[in-house]
Amino acid sequence: MNWWAWVVEPLQYDFMKRAAIATVAVCVASPMCGVWALSRRLVYFTDAMSHGILAGIAGAAIVGGSLLLGGLLAAVTMALFVSFLIVRARAPEDGAIGVVGQGLFALGVMGISLQREPRALTHILFGNPLTVSATDVVVNTTLSAVVVVSILTMQPVLLATTFDPAHARTVGIRVGLVDATLMVTLSLTVVAALATVGALMAITLIIAPAVTARMLGRSLHHMIAISVGCGLVSGIAGLLISYHAGLPTGPTVALVAVAQVGLAAAWVRPAGAMRRTLVHDRNEQARL
Amino acid sequence: MIETRGLAVTYGGRCALQPLDLRIPAGESVAVVGRNGSGKSSLLRALSGLERAARGEVILHARSCEHHRNSIEIAYIPQRSAARWELPFAVADVVAAGVRRAWWRRRGPSDRAAVAAALSAVGLDGMDTRPVTELSGGQAQRVLIARALVQQPNLVIMDEPFAGLDTATVQAVTELLESFVADGNSVCCALHELDIARSTFSRTVALTDGLIVDDGPSSKVLDVAGVERIFTTKALA
Repeated sequence: MNWWAWVVEPLQYDFMKRAAIATVAVCVASPMCGVWALSRRLVYFTDAMSHGILAGIAGAAIVGGSLLLGGLLAAVTMALFVSFLIVRARAPEDGAIGVVGQGLFALGVMGISLQREPRALTHILFGNPLTVSATDVVVNTTLSAVVVVSILTMQPVLLATTFDPAHARTVGIRVGLVDATLMVTLSLTVVAALATVGALMAITLIIAPAVTARMLGRSLHHMIAISVGCGLVSGIAGLLISYHAGLPTGPTVALVAVAQVGLAAAWVRPAGAMRRTLVHDRNEQARL
Repeated sequence: MIETRGLAVTYGGRCALQPLDLRIPAGESVAVVGRNGSGKSSLLRALSGLERAARGEVILHARSCEHHRNSIEIAYIPQRSAARWELPFAVADVVAAGVRRAWWRRRGPSDRAAVAAALSAVGLDGMDTRPVTELSGGQAQRVLIARALVQQPNLVIMDEPFAGLDTATVQAVTELLESFVADGNSVCCALHELDIARSTFSRTVALTDGLIVDDGPSSKVLDVAGVERIFTTKALA
């Protein structure tokens, strides 16, 4: 089989077409959000959220509702509750995230244990393209579009509050509101990634491309472009590899994303040394 | 222009700034000096609207404002180390953070022109796309000043802007401040460099344990006896 057939052959199946569309949408939105999550040190929050939404999923399964909607409700609840604890109650940030995230996770585990068929929720935890329905595609692409538009719209205030929150306050930016909005946007991203890569692997698709971009990018625009590129490569390559090798999709996508971080780390040391030399030379010339 | 009446700041019951009165008229440059923990940063943050007054008030243009963070006339420049210089944001994007606009409004031609003018004023022409990760300490300080200038403020409040700068950069920054004050604006600056306070600032306010212990012309407040008084004695409660 040549490489073109390797890429195209899976797409003759409707379920793979749906999975591909949903994956591409998520792989654009997740890394864009990830760049800001990483810059604002929200990696732990994202990780906790990917576990915390289990409560909503289990709750929805118990009452026979939409699992995505349940996950969304839990994610938004977690984002708002954590924001409240940090901004209003002045709780320590990592403590608030840990308490709320683990509390919801415990609720989720309890809910799953009440299921007759707990294994039926495995696809939500690890992703499965076979289960992506037409409705999932619509929900995923809509959520992803909302995330992309939100991040692009908020970019100036995200930059101002990330770089120097004290100064941002003095020019009238409500830093707490920006934090809360970003957390809600992150929750939408995690939920959008549920059907394709699953709740537990969503964090990798959000953070790993952003880490690669941080190592390679020289500006915010570079970082966003690189992270989206890496996200797309992870999603599409992961989907195809999982199809051909019979591997679970979520972990495969996650491993491709992690492999990119490894490649970037191997590249960045010699490239970084060269760049530092060039910058040093330029500064020396400016000084003279 | 800006004044405090009985302004006090506390952190969890600890009094960082005891009730004090201070007036900074237009066209004056004020140095705030004192030991570490004397209340300099608390005073600046209260003037900037970042700290709520536990007691007293801040008055801007004869109007009391409990929390005047929305005043575009005041530009606050925190300590350089408070910002995230490790993130590769472009210089122009950081300076543009000083432009007050709604979340959804994109940066327009007038904003870009204001950013370019501010960068030019601080001698950083053509560096708008340079990532802040590649700036020297002096260039970074100038970026923060450009971000303040883009607000077109009447009062610039700076927290230790000269820390870690070499002599040439200190000279460049003081010249910028002097030209800003010469235009009828005011500067209030916390600093440890007493020689700069003497040479650049017309007035010095000395703080000890959150209390003003001296206030007057810099040459007088920072003479030998004054320095000894400020840095070796405790404030009278």
